[in-house]
Amino acid sequence: MSKLDGVVNCLEQHRALQRNITSEQDLAAEKDEDMRALMREENNVYTDLLQKQEQSMLQELLTLSDDEHYPALIFEVNAGAGGQEAMLFAQELYDMYTSYFDHMGWEYEQFSYETTDIGGLRHANLLVNDADAYNWLRYEAGVHRVQRVPSTEKSGRMHTSTASITVIPRPADVQINIAEKDLKIETKRASGAGGQHVNTTDSAVRIVHLPTGLAVEAQSERSQLKNRELALRRLQAKLMQQQLESSEASKQATRKAQQGNLNRNEKIRTYNFVQDRVTDHRIQGGTLHNLSGFLEGGQQLSGLIERLQVDRRKAHLVELLETWQPPQKAADKS
Amino acid sequence: MFKYLTRPLHLASRNAIRALSGNAATTASSGPLIEVNQALNGWENKLKDAGVQDTEFNIKCIVSHVLGKKFSTVPDDFAQLKFNSAQLADFERFLEARCARMPLQHIIGEWDFMDITLKTAPTVFIPRPETEEFVRLVIQQYKQEKHVNMLEVGCGSGAMSLSMLHSLPQVESTAIERSKAATALAWENAKMLGLDNRFKVFNHTMEEDKYMPDELQDKQYDLIISNPPYVKTEEFQFLHPEVVVYENLNALDGGSDGLRIARLVFELACRHLRPGGKLWLELGNEHPPLVKTIMNLKYQGRLNYVASYYDQYKRERFVELQRPEA
Repeated sequence: MSKLDGVVNCLEQHRALQRNITSEQDLAAEKDEDMRALMREENNVYTDLLQKQEQSMLQELLTLSDDEHYPALIFEVNAGAGGQEAMLFAQELYDMYTSYFDHMGWEYEQFSYETTDIGGLRHANLLVNDADAYNWLRYEAGVHRVQRVPSTEKSGRMHTSTASITVIPRPADVQINIAEKDLKIETKRASGAGGQHVNTTDSAVRIVHLPTGLAVEAQSERSQLKNRELALRRLQAKLMQQQLESSEASKQATRKAQQGNLNRNEKIRTYNFVQDRVTDHRIQGGTLHNLSGFLEGGQQLSGLIERLQVDRRKAHLVELLETWQPPQKAADKS
Repeated sequence: MFKYLTRPLHLASRNAIRALSGNAATTASSGPLIEVNQALNGWENKLKDAGVQDTEFNIKCIVSHVLGKKFSTVPDDFAQLKFNSAQLADFERFLEARCARMPLQHIIGEWDFMDITLKTAPTVFIPRPETEEFVRLVIQQYKQEKHVNMLEVGCGSGAMSLSMLHSLPQVESTAIERSKAATALAWENAKMLGLDNRFKVFNHTMEEDKYMPDELQDKQYDLIISNPPYVKTEEFQFLHPEVVVYENLNALDGGSDGLRIARLVFELACRHLRPGGKLWLELGNEHPPLVKTIMNLKYQGRLNYVASYYDQYKRERFVELQRPEA
């Protein structure tokens, strides 16, 4: 309830101001010309103040945070249409968002990360551990489009490619605890002496989670221990995903997340390198310049996310007001 | 069947390409590019015939080394990767060496150990995957300590000490090593990793009554770690060529029961561990019970057996000993 304090204060100040305004009748009743001028002047001042007050009241209402609270979320970047170029773009998005997480001071952990040889990114999966993160990031989910002449292009044609962002909130009740005894860890070397007796380069690791039968593998590192850590993180991500999919709370949460941005399947933002601009297609005047600054994931991205936030809430509020009925009317209807 | 029919053809074409590119290499360093997948042809079988295990991994390591790329960024199918003629020549030379059972880690000149990459050198012992587990175990025990003054006996390339220093900023390490080549390599690795301000290494051969170099004669440590040679002399006939031919036997030979050097380390620990300090050893899988017996019989009041630990292959390999509190 304390969250409503701001709104209530605004409303009280608003009422006080309203009382200060002299009504038309009083104005007409006043005989003295000077006095009337004074009253009008006073009224102008109050009307001004009233308007300002209304503005701040709206702001208070808009920033009134929603009831959705998730202690953490899973943030996914996937390369979309456009081959190598899409993967390069996915990597740039990944870098942008991780710098943004740093900018916001959020803790995050990388679960899986698949790169390509020329510096592109096929797929990455992060766990962002912050209660605020979901409210800020939910409008980032969707298809991001890039238009530019890719470095892989020889004839200088402009390409359009995409990458997508998915934001899955993690409800508080999902927790993954993996017990060492539930794991069967396998490497290529099945038997025979170990240690100094042999020089195997035995680095690939396969882990089976006995209670669920889930199996994960890792062989992207030369160090066996690193592969094991990688495999464990993948297992954790898989288990979490499984649990998320099964838990009712999360089904709702994911649905909500996707309703939050109905145009999920359409592009939400375009990054045009030729014109050095970023355009968010969901808000009016959503074009920003200085693309490289935007991709740094700092103040510019943060600013756009804030605007989206306010804009979405405004739309939400309008919808709420339009469908609102006085209690009596609503009661009559039913 | 088809494979056998076409293989000579492939071989012939590969030789032809090599001949061609060999000429090109003399005129220009780049020359024509050859698909990695094409260059691979037949090598996997050659490696297998030579008795090399895990051939795909070997090939991938060599490919990424030749191309100068990080192992983790090279796709498993080598799609779109190409060699120039100089790289192709290197690639074939390295695979030839691998067929002669030269250790992969020597061929590519470096190896990853936990979070660090170490240079390798011929004759210097290459750290094994289980040693990563051992170091991880020791790190777990000392994570919370404020300051740890550590000694490593026989540091080889420096893998154990340097990965400890890399993970735990509160650790300082002194190492002794009998091989001159390894002493130099460990120091080079420390400098390369920027850990040389917390690392010292002395070239010294441990002997009875001369366990430590003169400079360290009265030093005591909170922790001593060691992966001493523990292969029994009789087991040498069963070792892989990579080990027998290419590795320094001094780093492996543990005498008739495999504990000849470990016994020297016990004596060293009695003198150079502070009271309450610990000795951690990585040994062979028959050794921990033996160590327990030795402690009970010969070291009462001087060194206590605390616990043993298993590696991931469920072998009892790691031992924790402690000098009693004064």
